[in-house]
Order: sequence, then C-alpha cells, then structure tokens
Amino acid sequence: MTTLKIQNLGQIKKAKLSFGDLTVLVGPQATGKSIALQLLKLMVDAGQVQHEMAKYGLDWEHSLPDFLDIYFGEGMRFIWQGERTSIEWEGMPVDLPQIAKRKRPNKDETLFYIPAQRVLTLRDGWPRPFTDYTPGDPFAVREFSEKLRVLVEQEFGASVDLFPQERRLKREFRDLLQHHVFSSFHLKVDKFRSQKRLVLGPEGTRVSLPYMVWSAGQREFVPLLLGFYWLMPPTKVSTRDKISWVVLEELEMGLHPRAIAVVLLLVLELVARGYRVCLSTHSPQVLDAIWALKHLRANGADAHAVLDIFEAENTQSMRKLADTVMKKVLKVFYFDRETGKTRDISKLDPSAEDEGHSGWGGLAEFSGRANRAVARSAANAERRISK
Amino acid sequence: MTFKNAVRNTPQLKETWRPGLGALRAQDRPHVDPSDPRQLKGSVDVDSALQKKEPNAHRWDFAIGYRHANRRGDCIYWVEIHTANDKEVKVVLNKLRWLRNWLVGSGSLLDQFERDFVWISSGATSFTLGAPQVKQFAELGLQHKGRVLRIPSERQP
Repeated sequence: MTTLKIQNLGQIKKAKLSFGDLTVLVGPQATGKSIALQLLKLMVDAGQVQHEMAKYGLDWEHSLPDFLDIYFGEGMRFIWQGERTSIEWEGMPVDLPQIAKRKRPNKDETLFYIPAQRVLTLRDGWPRPFTDYTPGDPFAVREFSEKLRVLVEQEFGASVDLFPQERRLKREFRDLLQHHVFSSFHLKVDKFRSQKRLVLGPEGTRVSLPYMVWSAGQREFVPLLLGFYWLMPPTKVSTRDKISWVVLEELEMGLHPRAIAVVLLLVLELVARGYRVCLSTHSPQVLDAIWALKHLRANGADAHAVLDIFEAENTQSMRKLADTVMKKVLKVFYFDRETGKTRDISKLDPSAEDEGHSGWGGLAEFSGRANRAVARSAANAERRISK
Repeated sequence: MTFKNAVRNTPQLKETWRPGLGALRAQDRPHVDPSDPRQLKGSVDVDSALQKKEPNAHRWDFAIGYRHANRRGDCIYWVEIHTANDKEVKVVLNKLRWLRNWLVGSGSLLDQFERDFVWISSGATSFTLGAPQVKQFAELGLQHKGRVLRIPSERQP
C-alpha cells in the first residue's frame, strides 16, 4: 500500500497515511489535511509542477521557502521546520530542499487536484487562466482553474450546452444531477457583449441566469462538474491521459445532502474507473457512505443495496459500478488537533472506545452531544423528585 | 436517601444490592468504566431479582449507583447490555417501557434519583451517532453508548 509519512510540517506533528483506492481525510479546520494532500501531489508530480510553474514565469531561484510560498501559497514557507521536518514517500526519505533546488525532468501529470477554493476559479461565469492569479495564490487553485479554461475553450468549442451533454457522464448521473442540482435548468455558454460566459437557463429558451444569480451550491458545483468532465473524457478510454490519482477537497461545499449523495456517487464512478481518489471532508454523510459500503461488503449484500443508499437507478451500468466499488480498499484518517497526529479510523466502529474513532473524527460528535442532552432530559422529565 | 437505602427499601430488590459493580456478571463489568471507582454506590441485577416475579416481562438488566463530584445525591445509571442492531431495537425499547412502568410502581423509591437509561452494546454496533434510530432512543430517554459506558467524575447537564 502506498504510504506517506510526515513529521513536523505545518500543523502536522506526525502523520502516517496509507492510501487505499478511496482515502478520506477528516479532522477540524487547520489540522494539515490540505497540506498533506498538496504534498501528495508534489510527491507524484514534482517534475510536472516545476514545469508548469516555470512555464508561467514563476521563479523560486532554488530556494525552498520561495518554492513553498509559490506552491502552497503565500506565507506557507513557515510550514517547513528545518531539520525537524521529515517526509517519507513509499518508504523512502524525501529531500524537499533538494526538490526545490534541482529541477526535475518534466513528466506527464498523474494527479488531478480539485481544490477547496474552486468557487474562485470562475470569474463572471468563465474560468480564469493561470496567469489571472497572484503569485501568492496556491498552485493547486491556479492549475485547476487553467484546466477548466482549457476544457471549456477547447473541448466544448462551439457547443452551447455544457450540461446535460449526451457524451458526458452516464445518463443515470445526468438525471440525478438534473434533479438534485440544476432543477430543470441547463448549463449553457452564451455571450454578453462579445464575452463568453456560463449561464443557467431552462431548455429551449433564451432565458439565461448569469453566474452572480446562481445559488451558492450551483456556483460551487459547476467547477466540480467541469472537473468531473476533465476526468471522464467522452471516449472509450475510461481515464484521462496518465492521470491515476484524484484529490478532491471538501466535496460537500455549498451542497444539499441530496446533491452530496450524487457527488459521492460520481466519486465512486472515478474509483470504479481505476482512479485512486483522496477526499477531505467535514461531512458525516461521506463517512456514512464509507461505513455502509464496508458493512454491505461484509454482509455480502448485492449492488442494489449500494445503489439504494444513493437513490440511484438499478440499471446494469450502475450495478456494475456498485459491484466494482465493493471490491475497492477504503481508508479513513483522522487528523487530531490535540495531538497533531493522524489516526487510522478506517473501521469506522461506532462503538469504538476511542471517542475520536467512534465520533468519526469529530464529525458525529455534535450529534452525540445532542442525543445525550435530549435523552437525559427525557429520562429525568417525569421522575419523582424526593421532598 | 442513598441508592443503597432505596434498594434496601424496595421490597422486590431488598437483598440484591451489591457493592461496586458486584451485581454485574464478570463478563459485563468491562462494559462500565467509572472515572473514580470509589464513587460507585453499588449495583443491582434487576433482571435476576425480578425473574421469578415477572418471568415473561422484558426486564431491564442493571442499576448502578454513582456519586458525581458536582452532585449532592447519588445518580443511577440504568444499564442494558444488549446486542446493538436494528432487530433488537424493539426488544430494548420494550425493556425501557417495562422499566419506566416498574419505576412508577414497585420501584418508586428509585424513581426519585437523577438517572440515565443506557443501552450498551454487547458486541458490534450497527448504528451510528447520527442515525435516526439513535434520535428515536434519545426522544424516549435512552442513550446508546457503544461498548463501554464511561462515567465521568462530573455530570454534565
């Protein structure tokens, strides 16, 4: 199993991550989940990252602090703690200062990164190019934004409708997205004073709702949808180019639980296609799904039971997806703020003695406290008070 | 009144009070973890005590007395150690209904104490903290506590 070990990097004191086919990172804000995921990108794509940076005129002059500020974002040079920091990738020590010092040969990209800040990648409804950002903006955001720009400008060309598109995503997914995210609207390209832009509007009408009047969830979802388009090209090949890893930060942002369920199903589609997917999340729904998948597998349940969780159609194609996913390795890691360490909570045991585990890295903690308060009030409401 | 006195003055239980967790079977004791064992005020095997009198009833398992650092009186943890899955929900809720009826009748001395009704899982648990079943238990006054009931030094509201 591929492992990444980190010591003393940013908020992380000690992390050991062994990646499955689907790996989920949970934990409070600012515990190092994003640093770990961006580091993963650097581990598998150092040459490509350096090449992209240089292509857009970014020069870190062999300096590690400058490299960290460009790659992770302004001010992030301080995550490096000199000799105290150590990184191990696939059992081998990694010399990060050396990576910054010496340019690596450019290789094909193998990890596609969908950052948490994806809503910032559209300006007035059109993806921003890499150079539209400041040098202090994280590389992952700039690169994702550039990919979306290339996608809508080159792959969709003159086509008017971006969603739904017959050759993009399975029909079952399109139906779910139409229902839970877009209502009856289509995602289209139109022009406003010669400027192309993405708009939402009912099918077959000239009505168009520009970006600023979309719901928060739609603004969050459209860049994510374009990311899924990138990863699922309309060809017989199931994956894009040499991409084998996908990082998706906080898939739940701005979305109603029903829409989250569809996005989760799309994530499972990525896993079924052979991508190794890493998520970070603050949504207990994601862990509910992982927990259910593990139990359904252990109980020998059939694909229909999996699809039922997601309210997905029981078609041959979806059953195949569910069957494939049931065989995959699912991992969950908790970034504990108190200790600065990670814990493998993949068993997701609700009766685990360790509260960090049974409370699923804090995601179920609030529910637990609410349940206790209500149960206690109900238990004591009618008791006879001694006089 | 203390937990011990209330048990001794409850005719159906009077000889069944045991110090500490003594009323629990050896295999059940690891399911209860008091922060200060010296503050345990005894325990009662309710199920066994009432077996003859109510053989067909859904009898509750145990009562455990505890004195929290921030309480003047004893508190009772009414504990049911039972398999935790969907099939058993009805059984445990029937037991809770029986216990609450018993408390307003024959067990009325014990009905005065601050308390928790707790379902401890004897093995694996098939519902999560956010599950609708757990919300249903809460509304009925029942807490589901995984495999171990930890009794803290101070009792929260």
